[in-house]
Amino acid sequence: MPVMTYNSLFFFVFFILFLLIYLLMPRPLPRQIVILAGNFYFYKYAGGLNCMSVLIVFSVVVYFLTRRMEAIYASYEKEAEGLTKKEQVPLLQSYKKKTRICLIAGIAVILGTLLYVKLGRLLHFEEVARIRELSFRKIMVPLGLSYFTFSAIGYLADVYWRKAKVEHNYLTLLTAMSFFPAIVEGPISRYDKLMKQLRELPSFSYERVCHGMQRMFYGFLKKMVIADRITPVTTAIFSDVFSYAGVEMVLAVIGNVAAIYMDFSGCMDIVLGAAETMGVTLDENFRQPFFAKSAAEFWRRWHITLGTWFKDYVYMPIAMNPRFMKWTGKVRKKRGNNAAKILSAAVPLMIVWILTGLWHGTGKDYLLWGFYWGILIIIETAFAKELKAVPGKLHLNTGSFGYRLFQMIRTFVFFAVGRMITACGAGRSVFLILIQMFREARFHILTDGSLFQYGLDKKNAAVVACGLLVVWIVDIAASKGSVREKIDRWPLVLRWVVYYALVMSVVIFGIYGQAYDAGAFVYGGF
Amino acid sequence: MKQKILYVLSENYPEIDFESSDELVDDGTLDSLTVVGIISALSAEFDVELPYEEITPENFNSIDAITALFEKYV
Repeated sequence: MPVMTYNSLFFFVFFILFLLIYLLMPRPLPRQIVILAGNFYFYKYAGGLNCMSVLIVFSVVVYFLTRRMEAIYASYEKEAEGLTKKEQVPLLQSYKKKTRICLIAGIAVILGTLLYVKLGRLLHFEEVARIRELSFRKIMVPLGLSYFTFSAIGYLADVYWRKAKVEHNYLTLLTAMSFFPAIVEGPISRYDKLMKQLRELPSFSYERVCHGMQRMFYGFLKKMVIADRITPVTTAIFSDVFSYAGVEMVLAVIGNVAAIYMDFSGCMDIVLGAAETMGVTLDENFRQPFFAKSAAEFWRRWHITLGTWFKDYVYMPIAMNPRFMKWTGKVRKKRGNNAAKILSAAVPLMIVWILTGLWHGTGKDYLLWGFYWGILIIIETAFAKELKAVPGKLHLNTGSFGYRLFQMIRTFVFFAVGRMITACGAGRSVFLILIQMFREARFHILTDGSLFQYGLDKKNAAVVACGLLVVWIVDIAASKGSVREKIDRWPLVLRWVVYYALVMSVVIFGIYGQAYDAGAFVYGGF
Repeated sequence: MKQKILYVLSENYPEIDFESSDELVDDGTLDSLTVVGIISALSAEFDVELPYEEITPENFNSIDAITALFEKYV
């Protein structure tokens, strides 16, 4: 049976046929039904319908629990009528105790499943594809589990906090939870926002379909032309670290960073573009991350929806926890404002980063990766004033291009070190790479032509370099405003030259087939 | 109460002019770390526990909104 990935011809043909049927639908409801059918078809060929049963069970659990919470809050609203705001506070607290049971039950089912699967992978439990084969020490890994569990927990929590409207139509909830463009790698959707859009799916718009398709092809370019050329080379190097050293290792790390950016952001372009053609706006996951001036800013630009999820559902609830606040209050009295401020940021930040590491993988390498980012960001937060004063003391012009470039290179290095921690799939990965990096220089590979004998010959290296240059220019343009709107204002001929070049570059230079074994998107594995 | 809140906030965040804007969160003056710090300082001052659902941009966009929020719980 063929496997459907976003960069496969199978997906493209499916998507075009799906879109044609979808655009023929006269009203939002039939459009939504077509999307739901598309979700099932996509899941069947991308992850297997059997595995989809987990998602369906989750959707039923979420549906009934949110409806129950809504009913409890409706009773509160009735009782609260006529009371002053102050009188409403204790009444609401008593009702929240009842809804909390629903929230805890939902999280227990959803998070419990995710933890069981993650633990099962760590302990090498046998993976099965059918529910009837499930038993102790066997796991089923549904496609997109890490993504739809987080979105589902977010929706449950938002209903508990009375921040989200409860969906009454089960099919709309199921459509949102299984929304095929976002099921494999996110973005981690807020179901209430997505369901609102699904209820009001707009009719055909030439501009929107055109923009969506442009973005999809830009994503194909990033993934199939650039990432899929680099990934096999860097994977080969990191799986045999001891055979490479010096410049080889430095280039492999740079290549690895470029590949993961092209792979993940390329996938997001395909996903957001596909959703855009349907009139659905998903949350952006990238905003020129390597233009960030600090580690914290980097994570506000890279995998944005995961960072936002952790901020809203882990960081803030911990930081706002009354017991935690009392504790930081005591510290404030004893050690002063600054100590309390650092503590109130550091503790939740470290918890968030350890969990972010474990979300990516359950090995020691990802735990170390979480610690690494946690410590970096805590240092930036705790010593913000001191760090801000450093350029002044060194008489550096912080507004100059040189200083901005330095900040960007620093961000790149931060991220590259993070990648080195997980590159070889072992806890000591970063140390192995660093040792090899400084063991010997091997500068000769830059001049004697051997640089092109690692799996990327001159022609392919030129394709990658040109591709990266295009992405870099687009990123610069995007940081100053919408690139597609700018292109829209270009003369017709020039516009079509760009579209044609984009499509043809994917058709001619795209990497197809399984020979490279690079077809799958990296973040699909989480 | 507004004056007391302004006093506590200026002690903790002297670099921020809380009366300068009605969009303190929306315009980026207050980030999530600062909002947590504000709640922590004011909760300690007034000895209240603020439920998480009250942490919305609207409740922290201006000094008047922050005052109205804490008045509910004090």
